[in-house]
Amino acid sequence: MPQNEATVAVEERLFSLVLALLATEQGLTKAEILSTVQGYRQRYRRDGANASLDRQFERDKDDIRELGIPLETVEAPGESGNNQLLRYRIPKGEYDLPREVTFTPEEIAMLSLAATVWRQGSLSRESQRAIMKLRSLGIEPDDSVIGYAPRIRTREPAFEPLRSALDRHQVVTFTYLRAGGSTPRPRTVEPLALVQHQGRWLLYAHDLNVDARRTFLLSRIVGKVKTTGRTFTAGEPGAAEQALSELDALWQAQVATIRTEPGSEAETRLSKRASGVTGGGRLELHFTDRELLADELASFGPEVMVVRPDDLRDAVISRHRANAAAHREPASASEGETR
Amino acid sequence: MSEREPLQGRDKLALLLSLVPYLMEHGQVSVSDAAAYFGLEPEQIREAVRLIAVSGVPGETDAYQPDDLFDIDWDLFLDRDEIVLTHLVVLDDSPRFSSREAAALIAGLQYLSALPEQADRQVIGSLLSKLSIGASARPSEVAVEERTSDADLTTVRSAVAAGTQVEFDYVNARGEREHRRVDPLRIESLDDEWYLRGWCHTRAAVRTFRFDRMTGVQATERPISHHAGDVILPDALFEASDADLHVDVELAADSLPLIADYIASTERIEDDRVRATLRVAHYHRLKRLVAGLPGVITVVGPPAARAQVAEWSEEALARYEDPSPASSGDPGVS
Repeated sequence: MPQNEATVAVEERLFSLVLALLATEQGLTKAEILSTVQGYRQRYRRDGANASLDRQFERDKDDIRELGIPLETVEAPGESGNNQLLRYRIPKGEYDLPREVTFTPEEIAMLSLAATVWRQGSLSRESQRAIMKLRSLGIEPDDSVIGYAPRIRTREPAFEPLRSALDRHQVVTFTYLRAGGSTPRPRTVEPLALVQHQGRWLLYAHDLNVDARRTFLLSRIVGKVKTTGRTFTAGEPGAAEQALSELDALWQAQVATIRTEPGSEAETRLSKRASGVTGGGRLELHFTDRELLADELASFGPEVMVVRPDDLRDAVISRHRANAAAHREPASASEGETR
Repeated sequence: MSEREPLQGRDKLALLLSLVPYLMEHGQVSVSDAAAYFGLEPEQIREAVRLIAVSGVPGETDAYQPDDLFDIDWDLFLDRDEIVLTHLVVLDDSPRFSSREAAALIAGLQYLSALPEQADRQVIGSLLSKLSIGASARPSEVAVEERTSDADLTTVRSAVAAGTQVEFDYVNARGEREHRRVDPLRIESLDDEWYLRGWCHTRAAVRTFRFDRMTGVQATERPISHHAGDVILPDALFEASDADLHVDVELAADSLPLIADYIASTERIEDDRVRATLRVAHYHRLKRLVAGLPGVITVVGPPAARAQVAEWSEEALARYEDPSPASSGDPGVS
C-alpha cells in the first residue's frame, strides 16, 4: 500500500470532491477527477492501474449522494455509452437550499425537538445530520419547547432493512406470522411505506404473493428480511398517507365492548381512550388489530372482561388459559437454583 | 445528548459543508460558541476549521494554488481560538436535505403533533412543506400517525411553562389510588405513552407518572419549589432500584427487545432460547407484563412469582365462568 494513502482523511477527500464538482460547469471526467482532486491524486498512477482508486470513487459517489448532494453525470454529445467520456458535476442551483426556505427561531426549536424523537438507528443519525445542515443557517432556536423529551423506538429488527429497501425500491422477502396464525409463511413484497400507528410500526407493501397491497406488523416478521436483488418502479407519492388512512378506517370500523373492575388500573387507563362509556362500567374501545388488543387486555387479568365481540373474548380467554397452564406446571430445568 | 455516536466520514462531510455558510454568516465567531451551537466538542470544530483552511479546488493549474483554497485568519485562530474566513471558494450556501434526512424530521414532527403547542397545526404544516422543498429528492415514505393532544397534557404543559404545581389522583400498578401534588418538570414520551417527570410533594422525591394513570388533573397557583436544575432527572424512564425483585424467565432470543427495560442479565440456553433475569419493582408489575405477552415469556422462578402470574390469569378465567361479580350478561338497554 502506498505510504501517502493514509495521509488524506476520508472527509478531506469527500470535501475536495464536492468542491471540485461544484466548481465545474461542464463536468469532470473520471480520469480528471482521479488525477487532480485532493485525496485521489496522491494515489493516481499514470500507468493506468487504478482499479482500487476506481472503486473508492464509486463508494465516495454513493456517500455524497446519500447526503442529498445532487451529483449528476453528463454524457458527451454523440458519445453516449462511453464511460471514459462521462462527466461528473454538482449543479450549484440544485445543491443550494432554495432561498425561499427560511425558518423562524420557533420553527428551528420545533425541528430540533423533532430530531431528538429518534434515539437509535438510521433515523437518529439522519435527523442529527439534518439538524447540522439547519444550523448552517445560523438561526438560534427559541425556548418554546424546552421541557420536553419525546421518544419513538424502532426496536423491531426488521425496521432498518425495510427502510433501506424502501428507499432503494428493492423487492424483499420475509417470513410473516399472520394474526392468529400458528405457521409463519414466506412473503415477497415491494415496500411502499413504513408507518407508526397506535404506537406500532407497520409496513405497507405490494404483496407479490397475492398481487395486492397489504399491511404487515413489524413485530410479526419472523427472522431476517432479505433483499431479492430485484427492484421495482416507485409509484406516486402518498403511500404513507394512504396506509395511515386505511389503518384509521379499520380502527373506526372495529369496536369492542369491555367491562372494567371499578377503581382498577384498567378502568383508569382504558376509560381514557374509550370512545364511549355505557351503563354498568362498560367501555367501548376501537381497535385495529384483534390479537394486539387481546394481548393488552390479557395483561389486565381479572380487571377486564370482554363482552363482545366473541372472537376477541375467545382470544383473551385462550391467552389466560395458556398463561395459567404455563405457570402451574412444574417449572422446567433449574427451578431449584433460583433465589 | 449523551447517547450521541461518534461522527463518521459522511457526518464529518456534512459538518464541513454546514460550517462554511455558518462562518460566512457570522463573520467572526469563537470556537467555543461554534461548538456549543453545533452541539460538538471544541476540538471537533478546530479540526474541521483546519481542514477547511487547506481545502479548495484544483483550479486552472490543477495544482491547488493559494487562490483556489479557502483561508482563515490564522493568527486569530491560533492565538485567540476565534474563526474568520478570509477567502472563500465555490461554497456559499447551505446544502439541501437528503430525502432520508427530510423524512426523519417529517416523521418526528408528525409525532410532535400530540404536543399542545401544535394544537393549531400551523407550525407543523408549514414546516412539512418547507422540508419537502428543501430536500434534494422526494422525502421517503416514513410517517407517524398524527395525534391530537389531550386535555391533561395541555394542563400539565402550561404548568411546566408557568412554573406552578399540579395535583391529580394517581393509580399505581397495584391498583392503589392516591392524591399527588407535584412540581412538573419535564414531559417525556415513549411511543404512544406520555409521562410526567417531577418532584412529588406527597413522596418528597423525584417521580415519574404515566398520563394515562392520572385522573382529575388540576392546575394550581402555587409556584414550584423544586426546579429542573435543582434535581437530578435520570435519563432512563425506568430505573433499577436495590429494592427490586429478581425473577428468572425464559423466552425466544428474538423477543428480548420486548422486555429490554427490565433485563438484568441474560444467558443463552439453546440456539434461539434465552434465560433472562428481570428486575421488577413488585410482582404486580410482573404479572401484567407476562400476561400481556402470552406464550412469549415463561417465568421460571422463584415459585412465588410463578404462582402470582398463574393466579392473575386464573382469576380472570373465573370471571368468565362465574360472571356474577362483574356480570357479563347484558343488563338490558335502559
